[in-house]
Amino acid sequence: MSLQTPRILPSHLHAFHPSNAGSHTTYTVRLLGTVTALHGSTGTLTCGNNGDVTLILKSDARLQVGKLVEVVGKVADLEGGQGYGLRVLGSTEWGDPSTCDYKIYEQVVNATHRFTSIFYNVE
Amino acid sequence: MDGGYNNYNSFGGGGGGGFMPGETNSPAGGKTGDRDNKTLRPVTIKQILDASQPFPEAPFQVDNADVANVLFIGQVRNISSQSTNITYKIDDGTGEIEVKKWVDSTTADNMDTDDGKAPGDGKSELEVNGYARVFGSVKSFGNKRYIGAHSVRPLSDINELHAHLLEATAVHLFFTRGPPGGAAPAGGAAGAGGDAVMGGADDYGAGQNKALASMGPVAKKIYSLLRNEPQDDTGVHMQVIAAKLNIPAMEVAKAGEELLSTGVIFSTTDEQTWAVLEY
Repeated sequence: MSLQTPRILPSHLHAFHPSNAGSHTTYTVRLLGTVTALHGSTGTLTCGNNGDVTLILKSDARLQVGKLVEVVGKVADLEGGQGYGLRVLGSTEWGDPSTCDYKIYEQVVNATHRFTSIFYNVE
Repeated sequence: MDGGYNNYNSFGGGGGGGFMPGETNSPAGGKTGDRDNKTLRPVTIKQILDASQPFPEAPFQVDNADVANVLFIGQVRNISSQSTNITYKIDDGTGEIEVKKWVDSTTADNMDTDDGKAPGDGKSELEVNGYARVFGSVKSFGNKRYIGAHSVRPLSDINELHAHLLEATAVHLFFTRGPPGGAAPAGGAAGAGGDAVMGGADDYGAGQNKALASMGPVAKKIYSLLRNEPQDDTGVHMQVIAAKLNIPAMEVAKAGEELLSTGVIFSTTDEQTWAVLEY
């Protein structure tokens, strides 16, 4: 089975954490948001009105503040027990965040999790 | 002289435009069969990989409906150019599939010029990890499934990707739960793309669904049961339908009349045994 990367919102991070991922065959996920801050090896992704996610970046990551990006990554624990973050495996830049209607993305996440059979294998 | 020529030109253009609706309407009204399936279905890659094939060489089926052409959007993970074709590996987050686009070396690909791009093999505009919109037919070679692509073009608007996923959901629901309306579940697709989706869904259905749309909920349920229930040539008996749907036999009989009178189903061994009429 090829790798599947469910599209999620920040509130779903916990469900894809390795410790809770029993119900999922995969815990590599996709998140869409705007890069709002970069601090060396970490960054902040703002997901519409759905909150922020801390990104744990690879050294060769080329993110730019203010751009809309789709991030593929694994849910990971943040240092110092600050909750969940996302270890970035890859990212796709989509340019200016104003070109994307984030509400549509929220509906997509909703639809993909409601009608999983055509999107992801859930066991 | 010049004016006359221009007039002719604009008139010609207008005339062509005026003819089109008439032309597209009449076949749509007459073509009610599933046999001549030229539909283009929006799907996810997982749906293609899960598609069933009743017997070798048969058309692939997704949600029990034949698929001729499919449409999906995904990220290009690999591009490999051969002398006769370009093979892309496309990943949309639900699965991964190979897409083969044959290279026509004699003529430039005009489809790529639609959005103002220079004619080319399409390869120059597509890059690894970029998104692509693929339209083609499902093929298989040995045990491997791939897409024989008619068109592979780059995608730049993320809304198009999201709309596609919602569209694929809507069409999946259309085939599994029947046309929208009535007791249609308030699906996730409803909110953002509801109306467009409902309008769109109509286009994918066979003409029978037009007749079906005006019928009661019981009739719709019976129809979808008859469609999806495993059965032999003789169809399903009314009592069986009543039991399966948990609806009184009287109501089933009444709704059955409705379906019979419009000709979407027909009675087989006796008056109470029905099967879906497929042309």
